[in-house]
Formats: sequence, structure tokens, C-alpha cells
Amino acid sequence: MEIAINRQRVLLEHLRPSSSSSFVYGTDSSSSSSPPISASACAAGDSAAYHRTSVFGDDVVIVAAYRTPICKAKRGGFKDTHADDLLAPVLKAVIEKSNVNPSEVGDIVVGTVLAPGSQRATECRMAAFYAGFPETVPIRTVNRQCSSGLQAVADVAAAIRAGFYDIGIGAGLESMTSSPLAWEGSVNPKVKIFEQAQSCLLPMGITSENVAHRFGVTRQEQDQAAVESHQRAAAAIASGKFKDEIIPVPTKIVDPKTGDEKPVTISIDDGVRPNARFSDLAKLKPVFKKDGSTTAGNSSQVSDGAGAVLLMKRSIAVQKGLPILGVFRTFAAVGVDPAIMGVGPAAAIPAAVKAAGLELDDIDLFEINEAFASQFVYCRNKLELDPEKVNVNGGAIALGHPLGATGARCVATLLHEMKRRGKDCRFGVISMCIGSGMGAAAVFERGDAVDDLCNARVVQSNGLLSKDAR
Amino acid sequence: MPVFKTPFNGYSVKFSPFYESRLAVGTAQNFGILGNGRVHILDLPPTPSSPFVEVASFDTADGVYDVAWSESHDSLLVAALADGSLKIYDLSLPPTSNPIRSLQEHSREVQSVDYNPVRRDSFVSSSWDDSIKLWTLDRPASIRSFQEHAYCVYAAVWNPRHADVFASASGDCTLRVWDVREPGSTMVVAAHEFEILSCDWNKYDDCVIATASVDKSVRVWDIRTYRTPLAVLNGHGYAARKVKFSPHNRSFLVSCSYDMTVCAWDYMVEDARIGQYGHHTEFAVGLDMSVLVEGLIASTGWDELVYVWQYGTDPRAP
Repeated sequence: MEIAINRQRVLLEHLRPSSSSSFVYGTDSSSSSSPPISASACAAGDSAAYHRTSVFGDDVVIVAAYRTPICKAKRGGFKDTHADDLLAPVLKAVIEKSNVNPSEVGDIVVGTVLAPGSQRATECRMAAFYAGFPETVPIRTVNRQCSSGLQAVADVAAAIRAGFYDIGIGAGLESMTSSPLAWEGSVNPKVKIFEQAQSCLLPMGITSENVAHRFGVTRQEQDQAAVESHQRAAAAIASGKFKDEIIPVPTKIVDPKTGDEKPVTISIDDGVRPNARFSDLAKLKPVFKKDGSTTAGNSSQVSDGAGAVLLMKRSIAVQKGLPILGVFRTFAAVGVDPAIMGVGPAAAIPAAVKAAGLELDDIDLFEINEAFASQFVYCRNKLELDPEKVNVNGGAIALGHPLGATGARCVATLLHEMKRRGKDCRFGVISMCIGSGMGAAAVFERGDAVDDLCNARVVQSNGLLSKDAR
Repeated sequence: MPVFKTPFNGYSVKFSPFYESRLAVGTAQNFGILGNGRVHILDLPPTPSSPFVEVASFDTADGVYDVAWSESHDSLLVAALADGSLKIYDLSLPPTSNPIRSLQEHSREVQSVDYNPVRRDSFVSSSWDDSIKLWTLDRPASIRSFQEHAYCVYAAVWNPRHADVFASASGDCTLRVWDVREPGSTMVVAAHEFEILSCDWNKYDDCVIATASVDKSVRVWDIRTYRTPLAVLNGHGYAARKVKFSPHNRSFLVSCSYDMTVCAWDYMVEDARIGQYGHHTEFAVGLDMSVLVEGLIASTGWDELVYVWQYGTDPRAP
């Protein structure tokens, strides 16, 4: 690297402005006062002269991303489904659809939030057996609250980049039916001394009210965002867009009155209200504060669901001839004030985008989790994002927010939408706010736009003849 | 004339002294800052409308900053590499047995290599390690090292008449003339106030030499009266990177520049600039004039394109 810097320095010296202005014939004027030339940071975005190509064999790529339908907790399609039965189908799907031998998987990381840690870890291990993984494949859980699913994907990407293994699965799982939000035991009285520590204990709804109040997000804006979310999700379902990413889950439903079990296959999200109207939402009462603006209608739904993402080194994907859905570029988690935890994406997105060498303008598609319409609207406006690029297929207000699964769900939704949009959609960003005051974001790049032929086969370059001569 | 697209950024282009349609191109990945390099051997097509024929190409582990054809064997050429090595290739051998020699003595980037056109048995290389080295094909090590410059030596060029005399251009703002029989340089010319990136001898007058500098000018000197230049050729908007005298006309020279243009000059007339070509879209770095075809010019640059054209015509014309 030092050599490169030295070379750059020598070449830059050639460009330094000199006093003898060449355009004035015969006179050596010393009036040239143009600023000295310096090297600028290398851009990697659409404006960059050179695109990444398949020669970057150590890229971490995504070859499959699937999710279960997202269903309302306690009342929806998965109200009688065990959590492990949600995870097993998606784990099985990423392996079966990509024809990867399950024993080649180096690790499975599952983002999961509410369930008791050790019990959930055991359930995940059991789910891996249901899905057909041999005992040799390890599994673990990760909890970064609402971004756990994304964190799981990022962890796998990091481990692949570190060389721990070449193929891994990042997944997310949440059954809010079986594990409700609750605090166990007593709270340390010391928190009273630390204001920010105390803010961590605020109900999420209150943090939403704080964001709305502090940044002046009106009830109208929030309800409007909620209506839009429902409309977009309904349109996406109606046009079959989610068919590519949803794995139908065979399960059972118990009739609460008679106790009869009925086998069913759940294949669509059941929280979406296609006929959600602004006027209806406006009638709802605030839940968390009397004069507040956060209602059941403009908050994310409490849901059950799971998702899984298969990641591997690009060279392995090319070897196996697998289609590359996307390239995992960067991930960033950033802390913010816990009292307004919803502003997380506004802090995390610029960090992740910058780390990828990009500008916000380079990003063609966003999946920003709608924990609450207040924080979603704030982040969208703060970053001055084009609403037509953000949550084009609806968000958590319509689909639901199964905490641990949301990140993995977003990866599936984003990458399949990027695939549909074609080459013009090169970079995508996923972000969400995180309870207790954080934000996480990740940047993905289209897979096949990077190189048309990257999946055909490895071409041993022939240095003898050019293409023209052949 | 056809255009050849190189996969890497062009650094050098040289016509073969034996075949009028053959040329060698040296290229480097990532603008020569970092990465591999490649030498392309190209043949001009019989008809202008058909594409170049790539006779051979050789991959290198670092950027190729310059190439020079042997004056004694039609199949030999020398490449100057950014890793400090010189590679000798023999086109008559299969690629697997090339390079036939690798000469590693320079401790930094080698920016130029020039084959002795009179005695035809030796070549000089100049490097960013401030030294110039003299080599022959039959020895594994350099014969001599010329160590006087205080900064990168960007060019070392043999005199076309005298077998033992060569000139060097350096970033220390001096032009030096050397005689290999002498212990030190025979002449030091403070030719520019800024770095000198290139020099070339007049092919008809063995005392006239041209220099190209970061001060954007090309200057022509008579080494017998080197206090003032014979001519100062202004017109480039950025540093002039390479200068070359015509083998067929005593007052005609061409230069290429970081301003992305190639300029043609007649240093003996008042309005010296007689042609300007803006066909490159990045820095124009490599330039040569054919010895065998009068007025045939080749250029390459960081836009990864090699152009060959007849003086007076548009390089981009098909």
C-alpha cells in the first residue's frame, strides 16, 4: 500500500500547477493561482469509472434469501405454530433451492429477540435438525433487538470475510405469540442516577412520541405513511411480488372454541389491510400518551415470522454455478439517544453508505423498518430520501415486525425487488432502529449487474490472443 | 485507422524498427498505481477498416511503464516494470518460455528503457530510484549504474549518432548528458524550473535535444549553447509527459500531455504548434513515431486506447 501511495505522490507532482502559464505565448506569467491538486477519495458508486467484477472472488455474496409469511401474533396464521417450526422451513428452503449440500454450511446464525436465550438457542438447534442439517453444522443465536436478523447476516458475512468458513446462513426468527415483551425480575435502582440508562426502560411507544414531539412529525404525516405502507404491501401481494421470497409453511390452526386442530398451509402475509383509509386511521386514539400521535394504526404490528439468507464467498458461488442475488458490501451499527431510539436509521445509513465508498444518491432502493410511522417519516425526511425509493413494497406497519426476523425479511424483500428492477437498481440499503437507542444499516449491491457472465464458469484467461483475433 | 482497447491503462507504445505494421504497448492496471501489467504486441491490419491483430501478450506482476524493441533482433523487446525489474521477451518463443530474462536491480519503478540504435547491443533504463543502468543482452547484471540525479529519472535516451552518448531527464529539474566512457555526466542542463518528464534527441542534428516538463512547456536545446533554449513550445494545458522527434523531418516533433492532447510542433517556425489532437479522454502518456513509415504516429493513454494515425489525419477516423 505504501508503494501505491508513493506512486500516487510522484504522479500528483506532475500535475501540480506551475507558474509558467502555457497559454500565454512568450511570457512566463506568474499569475497562476489555481488551488493545488490533491487526490480525492475513491468513489465506488455509479459515478465510479470501474465497476466491481467477478474477479473479486473474495466478495461475500448472497445466493438465496427466503422468508415465511409474516402473520399477526396471537390471531394470525402462526398462532398455534411452534417457533422452531417457523425457522425450519426457511432453513430448508435456502439449502434445497440452491442445491447446496447442508454439510458444507460452516455456521448458522439466528437473530432472535424476545424468547429466553438458552431455550431459543436450543429450539434453533432443533429446527436445524428438522430442516435436514447434519449434526456437524453448528448454530447460534444473536440478539441486537430489532436488527437481530440483519446482525445475523452481517455476522455471517464477517465470518466468511475473516476466513472462518466459506458458506454460512444468517437467519431471523420471532414468535411474538409465544414470547411477549416483558421485563423479568426487578430493575436496578441505580438507573435513576443515569438518565440515559433510565431512557432504555421507556416503552417503545413513548420513544416514538418523543421523536414525533421533538422533530415535529404530525399525526397526519404518520397516518399518511401508514396508509401508504398498507397500499404498497397490498399492491405487492396482489401482483404476486412476494411469491419469489415467501416459503409457504405447513402448520395447524386450533379453533379457540371447539379446540379442533386443522392442518393448513400459510403462504401470504395476513396483516395487510388493502382497504386501509386515512379517515379510518385518523379516528384511532393514541395508545401511549393522551395527546400523542402514535396509534395502533401507525405503529408496526406484533407478528410471527422467520427468514433465512444463504451467504458464501463469490468464488464458491461461481464454482457451484449459483446465481448471485446480491453482494454484501458493508454494515454499520450506531448508538443514539435511547429516549428517541427511532432516529437510529438516520445515523446508521450514512455510516454504512460511507463505509461502502458511496454517496446517499448512489442508493437506488431502501428498506427502512417502520417500527413507528413517526420515526420512519423522520428518518426519510432527515436523509432527504425519495419516497419512491423507500419501502416500495410496504413495511412493518402493513406486514408486521417480528423483531428478530425483520432483518432477514428485509434482505429477502430488498434483493428480490432489486432483481426485478434490473441493472438500474445497483445499490440497496436495509436499516432499522433498535430499542435502547441504536440504529443498524447494511449496503447491498446487485449480483448479476456486477458482471453478466460471472456465473457462467471460471474462464482461464488465454494470454495468447485477443478476442478480436479469435 | 483502427483503435485498440487495452484492458489496463496505457503507458507506452513503440513501433517495431523491423516491421512497419508492428507495435508494442505497455499497460498497467489501476493507472499504474497498484496491480498487474501487460505487454501487447499488435499488428496493424492490411486494410484500415479491420481491427488490430494481437500477435501476443505477456502478463506481468506489476505495471509496465515502458517498452523498447531490440534494434538487433526483430523478435526481442524489453519491458520496464513498476516493480523495478526489466523483462526481456522473445516473440519467436512460446509464451510459456517468456520472459527469457528478468533483470532485477532497480529498487524502485523503472520508467523508461531505450535500446542503443547505433551499436545495437545494449540498452539503458532509468528509474525512480534516481539511477540509470546500462545493460547488454548477454549479461545477467548491469554493466554500469549512473547515479547523479537527485530525484526520479523519468527518461534516458541514446543519441542517434554516437554509440556511447545518452541523455537523461529527471524530476530534479535537470537534463544530463552522459558518455558511457566517462566516469560522470559530461553536461548538466538546468533545463526547466519544474520536473522534466521526457527528452529526445533530434535525429538529424546530434546536438539538438528536446525536453518536456511539468511546467507545461516543451523546450528544444542545442547542447553546445545550453544557456538558453533554441525554442520554447507552449500550448499544453498540463505537464508534457513525453516528447519525440520525427525520424523523417529535422524540425518536426510530437508531444503528449496530462492535458489529454497530443501536439505536433515545428520548432523552427514562429507558430510552432502545427497540430493538436484531442482524441484521448484521459491522460495521454505513450507516444511514438514510426521509423519505417513517414508521418505515422501512435499514442496511448489512461483511457485504455491505442491510436495509430497518419500525421494530418484524424486519429479517430475509421
